[in-house]
Formats: sequence, structure tokens, C-alpha cells
Amino acid sequence: MFKFILRRSLIAIPQLFLLSILIFLLAQAMPGDALSGRFINNPNLDPAYQSELRDKLGLNDPLPQQYARWIGNLVQGELGMSYVHNVKVETMLESRIANTFWLGLATLILTYLIAIPLGVIAGRWPDTYTDKFIVTYSYVSFSIPIFVFALIMLYIFGFTLGWFPTGGSVDVRVEPGSWDWYLSKLHHLLLPALSSALLATTSTIQYLRNEIIDTKLKDFVKTARAKGTPERKVYSRHIFRNSLLPVAAFLGYDIVFILGGSIFIEQIFSYPGLGQLFVDSITQRDFAVVNVLVMLYGFLSILGTLLSDIILSIVDPRIRID
Amino acid sequence: MTLLKIENLKVYYPVRGGFFRRVIDHVKAVDDISFELQPGETYGLVGESGCGKTTTGRTIIGLNRPTAGKITFNDVELTKITRRDFYKYRKDIQMIFQDPYSSLNPRKRVIDIIAEPIRNFERLSPKEERMKIMEVLEKVGLSPESIYKYPHEFSGGQRQRIGIARALTLNPKLIIADEPVSALDVSVQAQVLNFMKDIQKEFNLTYLFISHDLGIIRHMCDRIGIMYRGRLVEEGTKEEIFENPQHIYTKRLLSSIPQMNPEERLKHMAFRKEVNQEFKNNYDKYFDAEGKIFDLKPISETHSVALP
Amino acid sequence: MATPAVNNNNTEIEKVKSPSGFKIIVREFIKDKVALISLILFLGIVLYVYIYSMGLDTKEVTRVDIFNQFQEPGPVHWLGTDYGGRDVYNQLILGARNSLTIGIAITLITSIIGIALGLLAGYYGGWVDNVVMRTVDFVLVLPALMIIIVYVSIVPEFDVRKFIFIMSLFYWTSKCRLIRSKALAEREHEYVAASKTLGTPDWKIMLFQVLPNLSSIIIVNMTLNLAGNIGIETSLTYLGFGLPESVPSLGTLISYSRNPEVMENKPWVWLPAAILILVLMLCINFIGNALKRAADARQRLG
Repeated sequence: MFKFILRRSLIAIPQLFLLSILIFLLAQAMPGDALSGRFINNPNLDPAYQSELRDKLGLNDPLPQQYARWIGNLVQGELGMSYVHNVKVETMLESRIANTFWLGLATLILTYLIAIPLGVIAGRWPDTYTDKFIVTYSYVSFSIPIFVFALIMLYIFGFTLGWFPTGGSVDVRVEPGSWDWYLSKLHHLLLPALSSALLATTSTIQYLRNEIIDTKLKDFVKTARAKGTPERKVYSRHIFRNSLLPVAAFLGYDIVFILGGSIFIEQIFSYPGLGQLFVDSITQRDFAVVNVLVMLYGFLSILGTLLSDIILSIVDPRIRID
Repeated sequence: MTLLKIENLKVYYPVRGGFFRRVIDHVKAVDDISFELQPGETYGLVGESGCGKTTTGRTIIGLNRPTAGKITFNDVELTKITRRDFYKYRKDIQMIFQDPYSSLNPRKRVIDIIAEPIRNFERLSPKEERMKIMEVLEKVGLSPESIYKYPHEFSGGQRQRIGIARALTLNPKLIIADEPVSALDVSVQAQVLNFMKDIQKEFNLTYLFISHDLGIIRHMCDRIGIMYRGRLVEEGTKEEIFENPQHIYTKRLLSSIPQMNPEERLKHMAFRKEVNQEFKNNYDKYFDAEGKIFDLKPISETHSVALP
Repeated sequence: MATPAVNNNNTEIEKVKSPSGFKIIVREFIKDKVALISLILFLGIVLYVYIYSMGLDTKEVTRVDIFNQFQEPGPVHWLGTDYGGRDVYNQLILGARNSLTIGIAITLITSIIGIALGLLAGYYGGWVDNVVMRTVDFVLVLPALMIIIVYVSIVPEFDVRKFIFIMSLFYWTSKCRLIRSKALAEREHEYVAASKTLGTPDWKIMLFQVLPNLSSIIIVNMTLNLAGNIGIETSLTYLGFGLPESVPSLGTLISYSRNPEVMENKPWVWLPAAILILVLMLCINFIGNALKRAADARQRLG
């Protein structure tokens, strides 16, 4: 058990290392460097002085050396300077991280609030019309591209019906820290989170449904029934307990899915989070920020997958490699 | 002249463990066995499941790699030559598989199944090929019209006949039959076995017959090797093994055959008791201090036993 | 025997037909009305789009005509015009064609890569399997969308071919995993060992013995993948990092909605494309799921 967790975690280390190399090389291929930001407002600066400054900052050093310095800074939390805005990348991330975090959390909660009851209902009463409806929903949600769905949600509930705000993370007229401010934040979160959550439910619903249907036929459930356990108890005590646990394992994968979707969701709902920052930075060719974001997302997705694999190995020993 | 000679064959599988998945031990599937096959005879390898008899067969035909030892076929050392050279001897050694359900590709029609070896080794026009296939099918007692059917349309016995037909198309000299009837109904077992005997005469085949069923072995084989835990414990002619078993394991195997004749039953029970008693009392005589089986020692021209 | 036509017993043998995979699929579609309607609708759309677009010239369709800006749907432009005065309907057809073509291309390329590597890994096992699977694990944890966006924005002379290339680089992994696990199971069947003893070379066993047994899984997977790939392409194009402007996609039309004015008051520009994507995706998925049931005897309806 412990051995598996350790071995699985060790796989993440070369993955992180490779990821960092990949991003470093991508960064090298990107136009501009740490100095572009400072020079951008001053195009008349002497080119000779520019190259002298580059030498001083080590931008002409051999690649391995530059990589070592870059990764060293990254580990210490020195994320570099924005090429465009002439501020530290950390500063640009600060407020965005919180926004994306809350959006992600809301999405996760909504996902499970929708998926678990639906999965349980479909699994408990399979082949009914309710079940068919839920299964069809899970197929449909799997196949719809997130941006199309989010756009239509925004069009209907944001623009046409006007139930939700159509952009931003909070109403700027409300005083920060007040009750209304928090309510306004929640109000802004709800539609993007719901749009994302409605599409993130597929795997959980399908897994739960199949698991419950399978568990129903297991011998220990038959034994429980044979003993005369009331039907409700058979489900609550025996079946759900066995089937719900593995759902926890999807947490990590779901985080990765929601992160990927956040690029579109935040763009569509003009929600000032990391995903929107990424698209804006790319458009403005602010590659210092882009770099950090790609690294951050890669890091989170390695972590999310690791998390899921470990939870899965705890709750479902069948998949453990050793 | 010897057709097939196995000398000191070993097949070990590594056991990996520990944090770095290093090799910490070996499973000795086949641990130093030697035997010979003469042309035209049927040699039976008998033993309980997991004793290494199947591994031996699969190693001879090249499906497993030997860890050590020599396999000589027709004076050519198969263990020394390269894969490409081995290809030339493929034709001469063929195999009949245990499970006629999984040994035939469900997606292929009979014609394609039987044509597979022909297409690998011979250049025939489609018409010649079909003629040949129908010829072999007829030989194994299947209707030549069935060449366009799929395996699932046949019964187990018929499928095994298709498997045999496939093995026969290349006119092999040696056929390794790995439990060829154990997946079949008892009612068709005899049919397939007798058929195998018939074609042996017709094509002058040599069989290496692998089975756990002593009754079948007695019916089919001229000489028999008894395997236990990857080693041979006794080897001899059919008469020697069945009439005059020497090793305790052989005796126990023989005593486990259920006796059909009611008059002999009491005698048989006494024999079983005797064997059990001997096993308990004289265990040390048959296995060394680590419980390992001794090397084979000849006690007559044809009969050898693993005794100290 | 009631076959008088057979005069010579070994030249003219009647083919004895077995219930083929194709018949099972047909039966499945007849039983599943939604899938049948999806199939007809999908084929109809595809045919219509490809035939109609043959009469369209991309340059002509994408030529800006400011005087016709944002015309509402009417008899001349029956889906209206966009901000450049271009006919939305024609763009819709062209976009659908391009999105479909590129989706199919990416599906084919990723399938070939995924099937080849998955077969090799599953069939040989050992270190081959290790190398392939560790690579797959790594590619799977990469933030693929972001890296594609970065690539698209920095590569010089970006064109459709480069887009297909970068997409294919990332989206072969799930198929590889699937094929590998199936090949691993298939390898244990004795017919593989039998083929080896019959002198069939490994590559032939992989392609002609193992692969046909995986065909139904591959077809199902490719169908579902097609939907996924079209989805990703249009998503990226929507953000402005997909197909170049000279190759309009369904995502291009939808991307006009990034202007809130268009989003709110001129839905005829983007809504048809969004609905078309929805319809296509749903059709493909219902078809895929019917195929999936046909491939799995336990789930069959008919």
C-alpha cells in the first residue's frame, strides 16, 4: 500500500522535470525575454546597451545554465517580470488565483451535487424512464463542447432572461467585504460553475450507475437480502457504501477536467481568473506570464492525476500495480 | 536415430520484488530435464498441473525461451541457432493446442485458419491452396464445404480437428500435443485420440503428448516421463511405468486412478494405503534434505528413476 | 442437398454466410430509433455540406462587404450577415465542411499513431510497453490545450497542416491506452501462440490476427473521438487559436459572439453554428453508442 503510493509519487518527479524542460524550451522559442517589458516603453534605447544588459542578466548563457537558474527561481517563488506590464508575475496572479480557486470549488461541489444523486437513482432503478433520461443526459453532456454549452447558457440565462450577470467576478459598486459583496461574488460564480459542472458529471454518473448495478448482483448483497434485511437498508448499508467510495477517486481527474475547461469558461463569462489571464497574456504576447501559467496548470494536473491514482489505489485495491 | 533430444533444459522465470523491482528469486518452471524422442514414437509427459510439462512443450516449439540447456532436433541444435534459421525448422515441429476455443481466431474463416501456415511457407495459387485445404479437411473428417465457415459454427471436437488440420498442412515430423482433448467432452475425446493415432501411422508422425490424464497416456504413449515440480521423477516404457512404478510420486499418481472394476476395488484400496504409508515413512528416500527431486538414475536399459 | 448448381465439388462452393458484424450493427440501429435518426441526420448533413460547399469559393464567401454589415436574416441572406457583411449561411456550410474534414483528419492520424503504439505495447509487453505507457502517462498530464495555444501563437506561418500536426501530437494517447489494454488481453489467447508456431511473423500476427479482433472497439472509439476532435478544434478556433482566418470553421462564426453586442442582439451570427455543432456532436455520439452496444453482445438491444 505505502509502497504503491511512494512508487506512484516517484513517477511524478520525472514528469515534473520533463514538464519543466518542455516549458523552458517553449519559452526559448517564444519571442521576447525578461527585458522586453522594460524596453517596450523605450524603443529608442541603444541596442548595444540592450545586449550588454542581456549579457549581465545571463540571457546569452548556455541553455543548461539558463535552465538551472530559471528552475531555481521558480522553486523560490520568483516567477519573473511580465514582458508587457512591467510588474512581477506573482502580483498578476494573486487576485486571479483566488477567483479561479473559488470557481473551481463551486464547480466541484455542483458537479457532485448533480452527479451523485443522478448516478444513485439510475443505478438503483435501471431501465426505467428516469434511468434512460439520466443515461442520455450523461452521453449528451459528454459530447457537447464546453464552450458551446457555456455560450448558450450565457445567452439564455445571462442575456435573454437576465437572471445572472454576464461578466466579471463581483459587482464593483458593492463595498468589498460586506454581505452583499459576498452574495454578489456567489451570484457571479453560479452560472459559470453550473455550466462547467453540468458537463463534468459524465464519468461520475456512469461509474456510479455501473458500480451499483454490479454490486447489486454480488453475493454479499444477496446474503443480506436472504437474511431479510429491508430493501432500504440493503442499499444504504451494503450497496452505496461499496459504490460511493470509488467516486472519491475521481476528484483528481475532475480537478484536471475543470482546470482545462476554465480556459473557456472564464473567457466566455469574462471571469477574471487564471484561464482568462492566460488567453489575455497570449493575445498580448506576454510570454513571461504564459510560461508561469502553463507550468502551474501542468503542475496541478500532475498533482490531480497523482491524487486520483492514490485514492483509487486505496479504495480499489484491484488497480494497485504491486 | 534420435529425432528430438532435450538435454538439461531449464526454464526459469524471475520473481521481482522489493522497492526497485529487482530479481529476488526464480520460479523454476522446468529445472534440468533431459529426454529423447525416437521417430515414430509417442512420448508422454505426465504430471499434475503446474509441474512444467506445458512449459517444456512450449519451449521446444519456441514459444518460451530456455534459461539453459540444449534442444537438438534432427542433429540441429535449436537452442543455438538464430530466429531466422529456426524458421526453417518451424515446418517440422507443430503444435496442437489445449483449448480449441481460443486457439482458433474467431474472426477468421476456416480457409484462412488452415491456409495460414501454407501462406507462410509455400507459394500457391488461390486455387491450389483451396484444393489443398479441402484435402486436409477431408483427411481430418470435416466436410470440405465448410471452408467458409467461422470457428464458432463448429463443435469442440470439430474445432480440435481444424486445429489438427492446421498443424498437418506443413507435413511436420514432430507434433507437440498439449492436452489436446482435455477441453473436449469425454464422448468425443476417444474419437479425437483415435484419429490422432490414425494420422500418426499415415504420416509417420512423432508425438510429444502432454497430459495429466493417465488413462489417455496409457492409451496413446509408448514411453512416458513423469514430471513433478519441474523435474522428471521417472521415465520408462508404458509397461514399466504402469506395471512396475519405482518412484513414490509415480505410485501415488497411479493409485489415484479410480478403479472401475468392483472386484479389484479392495485390492486397489490396499494399494493406496500402502503407497500413502510408504510416502509418510520413506519420504527422505525420494527427496533430498531440501525436498528437491534427485537426478534420474537408470535401473534398466529403458527405465530410470530419480533416486539417490 | 438442395444445391443443384454445384456441379464440381471443389471449384464452385457456395459461400456459407454467418451472421456478420454488419448485420448486427444494422439490427442495432433498427432497434434504436434515436441512433437511426442520428445516423440519417448526420449523413444528410455531411452530404449536404460537402456537396453544397463544392459550389462555394472560400475567397468569395469571406470577402468583406461593409455595406451589408449585420443584415438580419432575410430573403437574400437567409441567415443574415456578420460584421463584415459576409453571408452567414455560406460561412456556416464552409465552416462545417472544414471542421468535419479537419476532425476526420485528426481522428485518422491519432488513430494510426495510437493503434500502432498500443498494439506494439500490448503485444510485446516488457520494456516496449513500459516506454510507450510512460510516454502516454506523461502526455496525458501535460496541459495540452495551453501548449497547443502557445504553439499556435508562436509558430511562424501557421497553417492548417501545422494545426493538425500539433493536435495529433497530443490526442493519440487515450486510444493508445485502450488498444494496449485490449491487445494485452488478446495476446493471451492461444491463437496468437498458434500463429507463432505456424511461422507467422510478429507484425503479421499483430496486423492480421490481433487487430481484426479489436476492430469493433476501434470503430466505436474513432466515432466518439471524431466528436471530441471537432469539439476541440472549434473550441480553439473560438478562442482564436485554431484554424487560421483563411479557413473558416464553425468556431470562427461562434467566436464573433465574443463581442457582447453580437452575443446579445445579433444571435443569427453565432447561434446557428453553435446549434449545428450541438447537433453534429449529439448525432455522432448516439451513433457511437449504438455501435458500442453492437460490439458488446451483453448490451445489444436487438
